[in-house]
Amino acid sequence: MKKLLPILLVILMLGIFTGYANGSEYDLTLFTVWKTNPNFDQWLSGVESATGLKINAIAEPTDTDTRQQKVVTILSSGDSSIDILHINDEMGTSVKNTGWLVPLNDTVLTDDIIGYFPQGYMADMLTSKDGGIIGVPSYVGYLAFWIDQVKLDKYGFKSIDAKEDFVAFAKAATEGGNYGYGGSWEKTYIHNELGIFVNLFGGDYLDWTNPANKEAIQFMYDMVNTWKVTPVDVLADKYEQMNQKFIDGKYAMLFMWGTGGAFRDAGRYGEDQIHLAPIPQFATKSIFTDSWSFVLNSASKNKEAAIKFLQYVASKEGMVSGWDNVLAYPARSDAAQLLPDSDVKDMYSLYQRTCIVRGRPMLPQTMEFLTDMGTIFQLCMQDKITVDEFCVRAQQYVERYK
Amino acid sequence: MQTKKKFNLLWVAWILILPALLIRGFTTVYPIFETFRISLYDIRLFKGIIEFVGFQNYVTVFKDPKVIASVKFTVIFVLSSMALHIVLGIILALILNMNFKGRKFLRTIVLIPWAMPMVVVGIAARWAFDNDYGLVNDFIRWFVPNFKLSWLIYTNSSRLAVIAMDLWKDIPFFAILVLAGLQFIPEEIYEAARVDGAGPIQSFFKITLPLITKNVLILSIFFTMWRLVSFDIVYSMTSGGPGEDTALIAYRITTEAFTNLNLGYGATLAVVLFLVMVLFSSITLLWVKKIDY
Repeated sequence: MKKLLPILLVILMLGIFTGYANGSEYDLTLFTVWKTNPNFDQWLSGVESATGLKINAIAEPTDTDTRQQKVVTILSSGDSSIDILHINDEMGTSVKNTGWLVPLNDTVLTDDIIGYFPQGYMADMLTSKDGGIIGVPSYVGYLAFWIDQVKLDKYGFKSIDAKEDFVAFAKAATEGGNYGYGGSWEKTYIHNELGIFVNLFGGDYLDWTNPANKEAIQFMYDMVNTWKVTPVDVLADKYEQMNQKFIDGKYAMLFMWGTGGAFRDAGRYGEDQIHLAPIPQFATKSIFTDSWSFVLNSASKNKEAAIKFLQYVASKEGMVSGWDNVLAYPARSDAAQLLPDSDVKDMYSLYQRTCIVRGRPMLPQTMEFLTDMGTIFQLCMQDKITVDEFCVRAQQYVERYK
Repeated sequence: MQTKKKFNLLWVAWILILPALLIRGFTTVYPIFETFRISLYDIRLFKGIIEFVGFQNYVTVFKDPKVIASVKFTVIFVLSSMALHIVLGIILALILNMNFKGRKFLRTIVLIPWAMPMVVVGIAARWAFDNDYGLVNDFIRWFVPNFKLSWLIYTNSSRLAVIAMDLWKDIPFFAILVLAGLQFIPEEIYEAARVDGAGPIQSFFKITLPLITKNVLILSIFFTMWRLVSFDIVYSMTSGGPGEDTALIAYRITTEAFTNLNLGYGATLAVVLFLVMVLFSSITLLWVKKIDY
């Protein structure tokens, strides 16, 4: 037995290494944030049936920082173990000019289909300085306006059409430990809402000498400190905390990405509960669009299979499958037309018709920029710096990180 | 003949440990030298910059306000956490050393916090310190009904929360290790002290404390090192916020290197931290050598 054990161990080791040496049973490896969606396996089966590919799907971390670090480590180190990655705008802006991703103009996003994608977004977020389009948007999303109809009815409002309605409703709904407006103002999250308010006031996120920007900051400051329609607690909240409080009736309205999956799961989604609403008119009626895009790793050794995958997800059929399985609203306008009528389809069409739709402003050193902006925003909301000082510092960061 | 046999055996020994040495060298020694090397470069991968700058990064470290803020909180964190580790750890060890029913059970469950991954603790703590949903405020409201505090949005309370979670997680382990030291103190010494009229407090200060001092000091070296490189509690609980108020130096290093991809600067910070740790452990070891009871 004593002599047999080392021999068995050697055989076992050889077996393990041989297994690796013979190569993977999969055609490609997909690193995606959708992996944790309950219907992901259904979506993946559909992709595999349509493409004939066997796909190894790995879950991306849900935490922003961890995900960013993992993705840039994979791409910057030339790690070929991941073929397709699912990245958001922040990551896309950071890596699109690095040469770590394969341009898809000639193979996937060809002239016959590129017109169906949001042109401004594609240009701002996914096109490198050499003109290469580096990603296929897996959906189109909006930082939409959400309202709790229960509170709208309770306080006698029919709709929130303008800034005056917004403020009046926020004030009316602030009582008994509940607040009119909820937010997610943790330092790496605040850039979304900060940007939307800047846009609503007609400002420019990358120009903090613009007086409209100052108006926007002052408005947000007043929400917390003057009118007290937003609790200062929001400075610690990420989306999980904000959504939970909205579900629990703590807030009357907020801006949030997505199609309301969390609200549906909590039984709080519907015409008489929490639902999408038209963007109110401030100085402008603006909305952010975003997406997560599938990108092809330059180091991938399975490019042929990867392109096949990307061609499918960029197709009408692929986009509709995304909606059917994981509620990803099609980024292709022709695919969106194929969806059955729904409140989400109606509202998204309304946003596209009536709002100035913009991609979020990003700089090359995205995470540093948005973290620094979040930090000074929190200092401003806590009265540690003035609104004027905020604007001065914000402009310095724009200059430093562009 | 015997010398030749010994020499052959030595060769065999070296050959057998060579794979482990090579792996160790590749995974530990090589990264250390590589870190020193790249600390002399300005490497910003997003901008495609790789430029030799000599000791410029080291000069920048001492002028960077974010690093200064991180160092300040790291000093506060290490000093306060260690002081409480020692005091509360010894108290807990003394309790666990007493004879009472359920002592074995208590000694087992007291280690549960230590066994939990720090990331899990941090994520749970984010909720625990929430004003509306947190169990901390819920507990305080038993005594102060209208208590309201969002712990993680203010500098002092967020720092207190981070230190509290660090203590909650690691004091049990410190206490168990001190308890091990307490086991070696012979009961006869306490008996003799009782015969001489010494009370429990006198026994503690004249017998227990001197005899466990060396043990506690050596433990303090390790625990201080671990505090100095603490990263996961801040990463999962506060993301360094509010602002940069809870960004420990190890968190800053990770952010610079892996989020901002400023690899050269991140390496510089790592080297500086390494030197601080070497200095600290050298001084403490010298001090420990001088103690003799």
